[in-house]
Amino acid sequence: MRNRGGSFSRRAMLAGAIALAGMAASGGAQGADIAIVVRPDVPVDNLTFAEVRRLFLGDRQFWTSNVRVTLLVRAPGARERDVVLKTIYQMSEAQFRQYWIAKVFRAEAAAGPRIVYSNEMAGELVSGMQGAVAFMLADQVPKGLKVVKINGLLPGAKDYPLH
Amino acid sequence: MRRIALYSVLLAMAAPWAGAQTTDRATKELIEKLLARIDGLEKRVAELENGKATAPAAAPEAVTAAPLAKAVSATQAMHQSHDQAPAPQTAGPEATPVYPSLKIAGFSDLDFSATNLHSAATGFGAQTLLETHSGFEEGQFTLHLSSALSPKVTMFGEITLTARSDAGTGSPAAAGFNAEVERIMIRYDANDYFKVSFGRYHTPINYWNTAFHHGQWLQTTISRPEMTQFGGSFIPVHFVGSLIEGAAPAGGLNLNYAVGMGNGRGQVISRGGDFSDINNNRAWLVDSFIKPDALYGLQLGGSLYHDSLNPLTAPAAREWIESAHLVWQKETPEFIAEFANVGHQPISGATASNSQAWYVQTAYRLPWLQKLWKPYYRFEYIHVPKSDAIFRTVVPTFHASTFGVRYDITTFAAFKFEYRSYVRRDAPNFHGFFGQTSFTF
Repeated sequence: MRNRGGSFSRRAMLAGAIALAGMAASGGAQGADIAIVVRPDVPVDNLTFAEVRRLFLGDRQFWTSNVRVTLLVRAPGARERDVVLKTIYQMSEAQFRQYWIAKVFRAEAAAGPRIVYSNEMAGELVSGMQGAVAFMLADQVPKGLKVVKINGLLPGAKDYPLH
Repeated sequence: MRRIALYSVLLAMAAPWAGAQTTDRATKELIEKLLARIDGLEKRVAELENGKATAPAAAPEAVTAAPLAKAVSATQAMHQSHDQAPAPQTAGPEATPVYPSLKIAGFSDLDFSATNLHSAATGFGAQTLLETHSGFEEGQFTLHLSSALSPKVTMFGEITLTARSDAGTGSPAAAGFNAEVERIMIRYDANDYFKVSFGRYHTPINYWNTAFHHGQWLQTTISRPEMTQFGGSFIPVHFVGSLIEGAAPAGGLNLNYAVGMGNGRGQVISRGGDFSDINNNRAWLVDSFIKPDALYGLQLGGSLYHDSLNPLTAPAAREWIESAHLVWQKETPEFIAEFANVGHQPISGATASNSQAWYVQTAYRLPWLQKLWKPYYRFEYIHVPKSDAIFRTVVPTFHASTFGVRYDITTFAAFKFEYRSYVRRDAPNFHGFFGQTSFTF
């Protein structure tokens, strides 16, 4: 038999810890730029902001004829996702979900973006998948990945658009 | 020990989610979902512990780690399926895609209509919901299938079950459901510039026809404009054949194109030539539109379509369709306008005729009340000259206004309420109230 009282207190403590961790994470990440990262073998170093938008809208689906783009998007709640929805997509969470349902329904894409739960997971998948592209906090980009310039600017530069 | 480790993993995973939220409803929902996951994981741990009690005593830690990882993955997938839209997919630990990768999504709707019609509204599509009796109607049950067969080959399908008054058995036929393969296609993507496909499509000569398909939930209004209504005859809604399509940046204009060749209309002109063409003249089409970078949300396009018709109840004719559309795809405001001209040139040399249809629809998602309400208005117009022997008995001449409001009860379901007023040529005017709940799953 499970101890229901003990389970409740653990759950209450855990919920509190989650909220605290979330606030800490939010506070720590506040203001950091969001980097667009790819594997070094992706033949792109710089994109205009409009090209980034086409990429994340699923309108550009190939890096080259042999390399298909795979979009990795953070799960709801992540600051990185909020920034990308606000600046690139200019959509609310509901509009974003409807956009991708419609995109697949129109046969314009075989599937929506892959959801990742952490920057670490995004980094690992970008490293392992040819053509994958993800966005993550600029100070958390793992070694071995390429940060794509936007309008010729790297994260941290003045006028860098994703923050 | 494992439980502590498990909690630590969950905490680490949850932190970024919670990071962007404060104490709003979304955060509460997230915590509730996480607690539900914990319950599931605790149950799984208990099961594993019970299993361990009966298993050999020297079971290595690595062996139990694998099922645990699977349990986490399974609960993640379960959580994902309820939290995420059907389209985005969870990134599993595997980086290599698996083929085929079938995905199924669905749409459906239930409708209510009440009009002051006293006789059948001839020429209008069944899904315009113009009935002489008020009541509820089962709309369409739609399944959408997509599957990547390789990195460059993909199939898409759309199947509907539609309630009809005559789809059942018996004589006269009872009401029932009519099954239809609305779309089926296989496409080879060479690159962004060149994609070739074969199948049954919604004819890409009209914005609405290729934007919303049978997903009533996707469109703002309850029904499609009559010029592009399913079961209607004004434009050929379906096209069986082959398409070549692609897109190019074109200096920021983002030029999209489609060129197609297919069977064209059947002898019943509201139907496509599913089994084969009814003559030796293929229909062809050219469609193009731009989506300029500088005006994100704008789409502007036009198309040309040609076919040779051999209808059951009218003389053979050549058909030319010219159409154009202007769309602002955002919701503050939403704006859709389309025009089409259908020309019929009888092969016998009789007088040619041109029929026109257009509509303008505008909507605005209100900034208050959690942005759940979207009022809308549509004006639509169809004119068929009496000299058009092909259209005059199957396409109504009318103009209509639609006032309505959409309420998104959840991210994936909506209520819609409409008032419509119709003015017809050679038939009494009428009006009515309509309601719908539509959803995706």
